[in-house]
Amino acid sequence: MKTIQLTVNGKEMTLTVEADQRLLDVLRNNLKLTGTKEGCGEGECGACTVIMDGAIVNSCLVMAFQADGKSIQTIEALDSEDGSLHPIQQAFLEEGAVQCGFCTPGMVLSAKALLDKNPTPSKADIQEGISGNLCRCTGYHKIVEAVEKAADTMKEGGESHGTARRGTK
Amino acid sequence: MVQKVYQVHEIQQALELLHQHTHQAKLLAGGTDLIIKMREGHVNPAVLIDISSMDKTRIIEVQGQEIHIGSTATFSEIQEHPLFQKDLGAIAAAARSVGSPQIRNRATIGGNICNASPAADLLPPLLAMEAMTVLRSKETSRLLPLSDFLVGKEKTALKSEEMLERVWFRKLEDRSGLGFSKLGIRNALAIARLSMAVYLKLDATGRCLEARVASGALGLTAQRENEVEAFLQQQVIDETIIDQAAQVLEKTTAQRLAGRSTLPFKRQAVQGVFRDALSQALKTSLRREQS
Repeated sequence: MKTIQLTVNGKEMTLTVEADQRLLDVLRNNLKLTGTKEGCGEGECGACTVIMDGAIVNSCLVMAFQADGKSIQTIEALDSEDGSLHPIQQAFLEEGAVQCGFCTPGMVLSAKALLDKNPTPSKADIQEGISGNLCRCTGYHKIVEAVEKAADTMKEGGESHGTARRGTK
Repeated sequence: MVQKVYQVHEIQQALELLHQHTHQAKLLAGGTDLIIKMREGHVNPAVLIDISSMDKTRIIEVQGQEIHIGSTATFSEIQEHPLFQKDLGAIAAAARSVGSPQIRNRATIGGNICNASPAADLLPPLLAMEAMTVLRSKETSRLLPLSDFLVGKEKTALKSEEMLERVWFRKLEDRSGLGFSKLGIRNALAIARLSMAVYLKLDATGRCLEARVASGALGLTAQRENEVEAFLQQQVIDETIIDQAAQVLEKTTAQRLAGRSTLPFKRQAVQGVFRDALSQALKTSLRREQS
């Protein structure tokens, strides 16, 4: 058992975690943030992607105690109080980039980390940015188009969306 | 079963814990290999020492004529570092060729070296640059060439109370260059099926003064390829010499992998990967002659 302090989706918290728990386990089981999915459990599929200190990581490959002192954003960070969607989520819906939805939280967070760093990505940048996220449904084209659309929307003022910058380090 | 975990911020704390727990402890950095091995039950440390938040060993810097990379520098940091964007672009290319963005944000050069996978992607360019490893324990510090540090498949000369603090290699001199090429299966997550790095130093007439060729996934450990290095020595590197050198490497591969199912593939593939790395090294060498 170890006590850690971390920030999750903008909230500072102190948690007691087991030595063998992964960040993924703590997010899903302790904090009930079940938007983060477990797919392969070995860093191949990216379904468990979260943003840690501004960079995407596979939460299945981070031990919970390693997150001490870190700032974590999960897909729930994109929730807004009025229920409106983040421009990336909106674009995913409009472009048909969601089918079964299992990869979507990770995919959206990879897109978010990319757009936070590079608001005007090329198609190749987007493909590289989501290259650690597997999708078995869409064939990726719709996802790339959605990220392009989100980038355009956010450039046109969509950044004012309340959560777009929340918790971004 | 992990009983005790520590997160350290200073190397001295890590060395003290290693001194106390020695073989019972495992250093954990990016975790991209170790966490999988622990969950599969292949590795069962009683003590985990997290060094991924240890900032002082994260350096990437020039010290005199040398470039130093701290062991907890991540692949992303190496890939994006200004030192590796031009003449030493092969180092960034090797870092970029690893895993996915998520993996590169966590995986460290120290992990890549200490896990000593035969297919570790940073090892060929580091071997071609004749990198030195700096190994620290609570009491001592020692310097070991990377080629001596790697002793076999997933085996290194690291003692249980030691940790790799950093690696360093000499900057490129005039008329020298480094190239890297890799053949993987799927871009984002490909483990090297075959990778190769070539360092070249030319004289003023374009003759090869020194060639250092290192391969990955062409044996039990990443290694220098002495036969092809000797062949390239004193040659003016043109198409004919490149063809002949590729054949030397094919012969080495055939001998080393005799009886292995991967041989028919690798004896062909090795030539293409070698040509690619060599031509990059040659191009940089010639460019550094003009500048």
